[in-house]
Amino acid sequence: MIEASHISKEVATSAGTLRILDDVNLKVDDGEALAIVGPSGSGKSTLLGILAGLDLPSAGQVRINSEDITAMDEEGRAAMRARYVGFVFQSFQLLPSLTALENVALPLELRGDAHALETARRFLERVGLDARWHHYPRQLSGGEQQRVALARAFASQPKILFADEPTGNLDTVTGETINNLLFQLNREAGTTLILVTHERVLASRCHRRVELQAGRLVHSEAAMPVNS
Amino acid sequence: MMALKLLWRSWRGGQLGLIFGSLVMAVVVVTSVALLADRVERALVKESSNFLAADAQVRSSREMPSQWLVEAYDRGVMTAEMALFASMVYSGDYNHLASVKAVQDNYPLRGVLTLSETPFATKPEQFQQVDHGPPPGEAWVDSRLLPLLNMNLGDRLDVGEVSLRATRVIVEEPDRGGSFSLFGARVLMNWEDLAASGVIQPGSRVNYRLLLAAGDDDLADYLSWLEPQLAVHDRLLSPDEAQAGLTETLAQGRRFLLLAGSLGVVLAGIALALASRHFAVGQTATVALLKSWGVSARRVRALYWQQTLWLGLAGSLLGLALGWVIHEVLIVLVRELLPVNLPAPGWRPWLTGLATGLLCLLGFALPALWHLPALSPLVVLRRDMPVQLVGAIRRLLIGVVVVAAMLLWYSQSLAMTLAVLGGLALTAATVMGPGWLLLRLLRHLGNRAGSVWRLALGNLWRRRVQSLVLLAGFASAMAILMTLVMIRTSLLEEWRWQLAEDAPNHFLVNVAPHELAGVEKLLADNQLQSVGWYAMVRGRITLIDGQPPSEELVDSNEALRRELNLSWSSQLPEGNVVEWGAWWDQLGDFSGRYGENVAPVSIEQDLAEEIGVTLGSRLTFNVGGLTFEGLVTSIRSLNWDTMTPNFYILFPEGYLEKFPRIFMTSLYLPQDQKPFVNELLREYPTVLVIELDMVIDRIRTMVSQVTHGLELMTLLILGCGVLVMLSAVKLSMGERLQESAILRTLGSTGRRILAVQSLEFGALGALSGLLAASGAELALFLLQRRMFEAPFELHWALWACGPLLGALLVGALGVLYTRQSVTRPPLQVLSGL
Repeated sequence: MIEASHISKEVATSAGTLRILDDVNLKVDDGEALAIVGPSGSGKSTLLGILAGLDLPSAGQVRINSEDITAMDEEGRAAMRARYVGFVFQSFQLLPSLTALENVALPLELRGDAHALETARRFLERVGLDARWHHYPRQLSGGEQQRVALARAFASQPKILFADEPTGNLDTVTGETINNLLFQLNREAGTTLILVTHERVLASRCHRRVELQAGRLVHSEAAMPVNS
Repeated sequence: MMALKLLWRSWRGGQLGLIFGSLVMAVVVVTSVALLADRVERALVKESSNFLAADAQVRSSREMPSQWLVEAYDRGVMTAEMALFASMVYSGDYNHLASVKAVQDNYPLRGVLTLSETPFATKPEQFQQVDHGPPPGEAWVDSRLLPLLNMNLGDRLDVGEVSLRATRVIVEEPDRGGSFSLFGARVLMNWEDLAASGVIQPGSRVNYRLLLAAGDDDLADYLSWLEPQLAVHDRLLSPDEAQAGLTETLAQGRRFLLLAGSLGVVLAGIALALASRHFAVGQTATVALLKSWGVSARRVRALYWQQTLWLGLAGSLLGLALGWVIHEVLIVLVRELLPVNLPAPGWRPWLTGLATGLLCLLGFALPALWHLPALSPLVVLRRDMPVQLVGAIRRLLIGVVVVAAMLLWYSQSLAMTLAVLGGLALTAATVMGPGWLLLRLLRHLGNRAGSVWRLALGNLWRRRVQSLVLLAGFASAMAILMTLVMIRTSLLEEWRWQLAEDAPNHFLVNVAPHELAGVEKLLADNQLQSVGWYAMVRGRITLIDGQPPSEELVDSNEALRRELNLSWSSQLPEGNVVEWGAWWDQLGDFSGRYGENVAPVSIEQDLAEEIGVTLGSRLTFNVGGLTFEGLVTSIRSLNWDTMTPNFYILFPEGYLEKFPRIFMTSLYLPQDQKPFVNELLREYPTVLVIELDMVIDRIRTMVSQVTHGLELMTLLILGCGVLVMLSAVKLSMGERLQESAILRTLGSTGRRILAVQSLEFGALGALSGLLAASGAELALFLLQRRMFEAPFELHWALWACGPLLGALLVGALGVLYTRQSVTRPPLQVLSGL
């Protein structure tokens, strides 16, 4: 379970202090799929970064499985991320010098998994790219690259998956395919999913939807009952 | 293992090509330079070992204690004993005061004796080289001894009570070059005949020498044992000390070799820093991603340290191997120009190459990568997040410190390190200020010109920070190359001047006043010309400041034991510089100011230092039993390279003329007129002839070896400079590709883009050349004044060629790269962003 209480984020700019998040309170249950929506600049990605322990709030607390990650140092948060967290990014973030298979295997290898390549291959198969495992990112289309990124995210079997505009760089049809895949894999793995999007359709597929406006949580609604 | 895996993948992805290439190039340049320098230097040392006929030599006025020989034997050091003395030798009714050398069989330990069976032989096919002395009962003699004693080869000559058969003539003795103290014709005899000759009596003036030769370690070991045993009248000579005049030439050569090597390091460092910066930019996304997956900063640091280390080792090892290959290839290419067999290198060049590789990574690659572990993982979400790089100034400082440390290591000279660094700093300073102004000026000019010019010059101004960095890179590299080329040429000029083809090669000493006219006529009859006659008076220093010098001082200074050549001159002789005090013409009226009969004296600075004499010291001289006092009014430094007579002690005119005097001169005697020496000595047997031509030949050989070695190194460094430019251009290439693609999408033709880019690079190159010329001029000023003691003058060629060559070189590189950007489909370039 993720619990964020009274999260604020301020940054100093030349024009003075800018408040990006303002007293955000949020609770995400295990296995829940949550969509964070809102217009550009509303603080969605900042909130995602803070929930994932990539960034620290100016005030407030984030607890993951009852552990206060905001009280941890960077090393502690890194260890926490290694234990629980996976990511899918808008810009795919595949390493250009690695093949699809190596990209998927890398996080597994880093944690010392002896069967990293086998697992990676299985997940590439799962996303329909088993024939392309030896291709480099530049030889893959955008949709294929995001499928590799999905395979990489799920291969390390995270408890929580953070997705930042996962279809933001893709056309509608490809985006739809990726969305289907994302939810399918999520369901199979029982992963907690927190995704940032400005697409209403994608948001509506989550169990719950929260809306940010100018850094404040203005709206929260259950799109679907949990576990349905 | 993980680090190796990541390294391999980065390598495969082409991200490491530049950094690895620069590293390998750095090590290749340094290693090949170091190998060549080491081997050339070993050749030079070996040559100077020949001057001693050994690796080291002990000189003494007493016979060597047998314990020294035993100890040498025990420690694996080869020894040969030798005795030098002047003795009358006889053949029939004729006699000559010969300079006799009695040697053991294994003399010379280093180098060879060149002999001939034909007196006055000049053709190499008449020579034989041997590495041993004459057998008992035989004597090898100077050709000119034969006519002096009216004898032929095969005849007998008597040395004391022993009769020896003269079987060969000596063409060249390895250890004869610098020994000017024994003037008669040489008689070389076996050590075993010495006792029988009975010429050495108690009180005889004999110069004993112990020749030593061994491997470096054994010799050092033995010498450290020997040194405490040496008495004041024993003197240990290393090859460096063997030739006072030559040492300076050797040191100059060594300095230049080291300078060339160090400049290679600086260039390599620049290339590596640029390549590392390029690599670090590419690694930002990777590190952010790793950190988002929970890889700790400590692990990221460890991964990158390990990768750097592996890369460093691989690059250094490859660099060492290629360095060896390249230096071998270069040696083979110019083998004819390197007339000696170069000895095998020691371990030092290998260590230098390896250490340079690792130090370069430490100083240039690591600072560029240093920020990576501390990178915020948030960069994965926000690519626009500012990245906290290690500050440019700090990176520069680290680079400078590493370069300085390496320069200091190579040169062992703070002055040289500072001069090279100073030249670079001045170039950088010359770039940043005026470069900015010039770029601005160009933009204004471009605005009034056609669109291609406007675009090209506008680009330079728009990217002015990058332009300035590139400018600094190009300008520094070019400045170094220009400096090197100019030093090489000026240094050679200086050397050529010093060792002119007709530099005097013979000294005639001890010419009596009544012989002067006759000798002069003989010279004229043979179309020979002397440098002019110098009168001298033989005298001793008996008191210093009214006190007899201490026994210790006398023992350690030959100048206080023997008669010195005192001379006079109204003018400061050529090559002499008054370091302290004033020359006669600034002393005013001296007569009687310090008492009756007190003369002003000018003394050479090394001698003054050795015998503890300063300005104002009073010296008492004894000339033929008459004493008079002198007051030191000036201390001079001498230039021994001029091969003209130099005097330790000079007086003004009017003080020495009343004493009996003799004359000396030096002259150039061509090889085919060598028998003139014999003719001269027959007519004037008391005249002493010192043959310098052998010494000059040796110096010339060395200079030619060193010069050609340096030219090779300069070529290598030139290649390295081009690499710096390539990596600098490549660093900005991504952005240039992108712009070109955008322009083409907007309908610009490839040709037009090529024109814009080549103009842009050409202008940058021209500016670099201009700025490099000023930087090089400043560096030259420092180097020439401090290191090579050459007069400074403006080098107009730099100012003319710099901008032109810069524009051509950088412009050509620009075209080379931009051609790639017009051939690649714009969509491919843009989608790769």
